[in-house]
Amino acid sequence: MPIHDQGYRRYLGTRSAIGGSWQVMTRAGVMALISKRQFIGLMLFAWAPFVVRAVQIYVSATFTQASFLAPKGETFREFLDQQGAFVFFVTIWVGAGLIANDRRANALQLYLSKPMTSAEYIAGKLTILLVFLVGVTFLPAMMLLLTQAMFAGSLTFIANNLYLLPAITLFSIAQVLLAATTMLALSSLSKSSRFVAVMYTGLFFFTTALFNALRGITGRSSFAWLSPSASLEQLGDVIFRLEPRYQLSPAIAGLAVVVMIAGSIWILTRKVRGVEIVT
Amino acid sequence: MTTGHQAIGPSGHQAGRQTMSFFAASRRVFDLSLGEMLWSRRTIFMALVVGGPVLLALIVKGIEMYGMSALRVNGQRVAGFGIFGVMIWMLFLRFIVPVLGVFYGTALMADEVEDKTVTYLFTRPIPRGAVLIGKYLAYLTCTMLVVLPSVMIVYFLLVPFSQLPSTFGNLLIDLGLLALGLAVYGGVFAFVGAFFKRPLVIGLVFAFGWEQVTLALPGYLKQFTVAYYLQALVPHAMPPDGVTSILQGMFRDNPPVAVCLAWLFAYLGVFLWLASRAVERKEYILEQ
Repeated sequence: MPIHDQGYRRYLGTRSAIGGSWQVMTRAGVMALISKRQFIGLMLFAWAPFVVRAVQIYVSATFTQASFLAPKGETFREFLDQQGAFVFFVTIWVGAGLIANDRRANALQLYLSKPMTSAEYIAGKLTILLVFLVGVTFLPAMMLLLTQAMFAGSLTFIANNLYLLPAITLFSIAQVLLAATTMLALSSLSKSSRFVAVMYTGLFFFTTALFNALRGITGRSSFAWLSPSASLEQLGDVIFRLEPRYQLSPAIAGLAVVVMIAGSIWILTRKVRGVEIVT
Repeated sequence: MTTGHQAIGPSGHQAGRQTMSFFAASRRVFDLSLGEMLWSRRTIFMALVVGGPVLLALIVKGIEMYGMSALRVNGQRVAGFGIFGVMIWMLFLRFIVPVLGVFYGTALMADEVEDKTVTYLFTRPIPRGAVLIGKYLAYLTCTMLVVLPSVMIVYFLLVPFSQLPSTFGNLLIDLGLLALGLAVYGGVFAFVGAFFKRPLVIGLVFAFGWEQVTLALPGYLKQFTVAYYLQALVPHAMPPDGVTSILQGMFRDNPPVAVCLAWLFAYLGVFLWLASRAVERKEYILEQ
């Protein structure tokens, strides 16, 4: 049909209801990342501690002389603590440019002019980060628990430490949500992904350095609430039924984490808007 | 060192058969970059970072003035210079110096590539390496102008006047090693920024991954870090602040000052040369 014959035609395609567009964004974001070999390398490297722990469990289950290596409840706590480093690097790699790059390219207005709400946009971006962060925290920790049962050939350990299932889940959720919401909030504040990454590093390392300096000066660790990482550690100890490592009420540690997450969500709702109002 | 290019004026007219030396070209870029660096939002970030220790020192001073007991550890009063030492270790050496090195060092070339302005710099009749060196010198001036005065303020806030004569020499050592740290980390990360595609992630992995892990390991691996030589020059005792610090303290050995200085200057020279060479040879592809 010649072009000049084409008049107005009604849209004949299907229109998906509002509320599902975030999945498209998540799928595209995840696919873009897993197509990069370097990133896959980082994700594989993040599973190295799992391999080490799995070997440890195998050796302890096979050789009675190595029974001292047998996993305990706190083994899983230590494992998730170690994964903190990978959480940091994955968050920076994946999250720094999530909103900052869209702001830089003025794509935010374009996204929000489609049938997509800002909540969907945030959900879509957040899920990209969550997918990869769950992949380096919750997933390997649960796999480790499963590996223990497989190598031991019984479910006795899991039955005796049933609290590990909710503990791993709850701590992973706190760890992943804290990292993801904070990074996304910072990403919405700037147009430069590198600046965002440095702000995130500053937020986590500087607050920890500040807390350590205060601990060195006063000899007390009650200022752990200053550092989101330290608050999370304190919360983790309580979740895993261990002796808390800092002289800080777990309720305050929990509150610090909740305030951080809530503050980040508040920033996101303020910054992710289709129209920039200039006053 | 001179180039065979002809100097072209800003209006595009040929200014004659003048050649600009490497030094003069670096100085031009330095003049241009310093203003940009000083009046950017990065400086706000830097001011916030170095403002933290000053604020902490103010709080400590306030507590001390009101005679409160916050500055007692196990019943023993902590001396002002001891607190200053803790802050040098925990805040400046372990965080501020590496993070500023990573942030600014990796941005020297990466910023120009990201903003797609590198083409304009490279079309000027100056050696490409001079662009990097000029920007590096601007980074060094800018960070030193912010970090070193902050250390001085913290020192004068925390250390009582009676202790000034006996501790001033150590302050000078602190200032010197922080300046050296900024220079060496800046050089290393300038190379990372000029050579790698994802410089910031690599820089962070080096500063907060590789350096922290290898310092807590026995053997020779820690000699492949900047922190090993830098920390050996610190005149204060290392404060213990967790398992990593205890391990680092266990495997810590203090090489002689001359060896540390030699290695640090070698790192600086080698990495700056490599960075300059990378800029000279690399073809930067600007993303559309």
